[in-house]
Amino acid sequence: MKQFLLNSGSTIEEGRLAKGGSKLSPDYTAECAVAEMNPEDYEALGSPERVLISSPDGRHRVAVHAYAGPSVSSGHIFMPRAIWANVVVDPETFSTGSPLYKGSPVLVEATEEEVLSAQDLVTELYGRGR
Amino acid sequence: MMSAKNIVCPVCGASCDDIAVELSGDRITVKNACKMGNAKFQEIVSSHRIREPLIREGSALLPASWDEAVERTARILAQAKRPLIFVGSETSSEAMEVGLHLAEFLGAAIDSNSTVCHGPTAMGIQEAGRVGGTAGQAKSRSDLVVYWGANPLESMPRHMSRYAVYPRGHWTRRGRFDRTVITVDPRRSITAENSDLHIQLKPNTDYELMAALLTLLHGKRPHPSVEATTGVSIAQMEEMLELMKGCNFGAIYVGLGIASSYGKHRNAEAAFNLVKELNGFTKFIIGALRGHCNVAGFNQIASYLYGFPFGLDFARGYPRYNPGEYTAVDLLRDRDVDAAFIVSADLVSHFPAACAEYLAEIPVSCIDIAPCPTTMLSDVVLPGVIDAMECDGTFYRLDDVPIYFQPFTKSPFSYTESNEDTMKQIYKRVKALKK
Ligand code: SF4
Repeated sequence: MKQFLLNSGSTIEEGRLAKGGSKLSPDYTAECAVAEMNPEDYEALGSPERVLISSPDGRHRVAVHAYAGPSVSSGHIFMPRAIWANVVVDPETFSTGSPLYKGSPVLVEATEEEVLSAQDLVTELYGRGR
Repeated sequence: MMSAKNIVCPVCGASCDDIAVELSGDRITVKNACKMGNAKFQEIVSSHRIREPLIREGSALLPASWDEAVERTARILAQAKRPLIFVGSETSSEAMEVGLHLAEFLGAAIDSNSTVCHGPTAMGIQEAGRVGGTAGQAKSRSDLVVYWGANPLESMPRHMSRYAVYPRGHWTRRGRFDRTVITVDPRRSITAENSDLHIQLKPNTDYELMAALLTLLHGKRPHPSVEATTGVSIAQMEEMLELMKGCNFGAIYVGLGIASSYGKHRNAEAAFNLVKELNGFTKFIIGALRGHCNVAGFNQIASYLYGFPFGLDFARGYPRYNPGEYTAVDLLRDRDVDAAFIVSADLVSHFPAACAEYLAEIPVSCIDIAPCPTTMLSDVVLPGVIDAMECDGTFYRLDDVPIYFQPFTKSPFSYTESNEDTMKQIYKRVKALKK
């Protein structure tokens, strides 16, 4: 398990699907339940198909697809801003009201766990009467 | 078939007002909008649109009458000791105004997307003041653009083409060819790829980089350790600063890269101070790249009605403001409210897990147009009316310019004309219940 800094942000496809009311669709899961890693970091983890991302206190964790991409530097991961990234975003706001959507420390490891759709994630993590 | 021109797009802070639509039966053709805008216009005819009120029975949301849904929402609010009202950005300033009055009446806390978006930037303005300008000014005059912690090609797709980079202006007769674009971003985003200079700093070091630029601007050399801290060489900082000092008119657009990362409002404050000092050399303005539609609206309306831009608490009968205490993320994380009314926003998706977990434990009512994680957790779901398509109202654009919008069709519901109307109906019921 290795520590990374999580950067979450817009992607045009996330925007298109979210604004088009498709947050519960398989396309949205395919676009947003992903983590982009630097090729070196990705190889060091064994080039996994999926990774488990956890908050440093271990309280929150989420499995997403992983891939190596050129846009991030070593030690960082990028995830589209969506429910998957926000499971592990640090809720501390440093007295501003805005959490650490960018630069949150997270732990990353290879995993066999399934990637859940937004609907299943809500039911499993937050569902009423869980 | 009906067609309309100059429709305002209700999706991001660019508030593009040149959208043309043709609506015939269950088909809509949209011209001029970007991918995101087009997707939202398609919502008007989509099969997944929420077309009736829903009320939770056990684990299922079941169709209900409008009156029942309004009554349940009013009861949730009236019976709570400390309700939270959250007004999202994809609705009119008029609806926000009703929400603010409702919050005052109830003694509730009220907040909006602007807090988790550019809340820290607004706090930076309170600290340092801002040298600003309209999008039109930047379009006509700027010959240098800095996107700091912003990726407009994916968050405000037409910003470059409508306002900032491609238009011809006074010093930019050849549009993009006469403009210099600098992007400051830890990631090589597609905006960075399309820039003349990409400053790839380490995450969470924006403040240090701005402080070093200010030091250089004052004619001094920053401590060499700033290179290891930020990942940017002093030579690169000098190159960036020379471009900035040498332009005729510069514009910095700050994105969530500064507001969402470590340093928060202090990053924003440093950026505003840098721009103030750059005006000793040339003309420079700074503004926030407001990714969501009417986030600026909440800041404007709340400020002129109650004196504070976001995160207001009316528990004592008068407005109080203390970011980190009365702001929605903090209230939910600290389990400090006992009911929530969420208008046009998906907090379950976009707030950290600790907040979403708590929302599942308290009574929640929401207004929305399509199913999403927040509607899944709500006890009451009221169908939303789409602003700028189905009703008129006002958005504030990214540069705080109010844009009045007119619809090209009307609300599909007989029982409500707009989200403003829905909120007024709820307010009326709350007043009756509290008598
Ligand atoms: S840039 Fe923004 S306002 Fe303009 S069409 Fe795209 S989403 Fe709509």
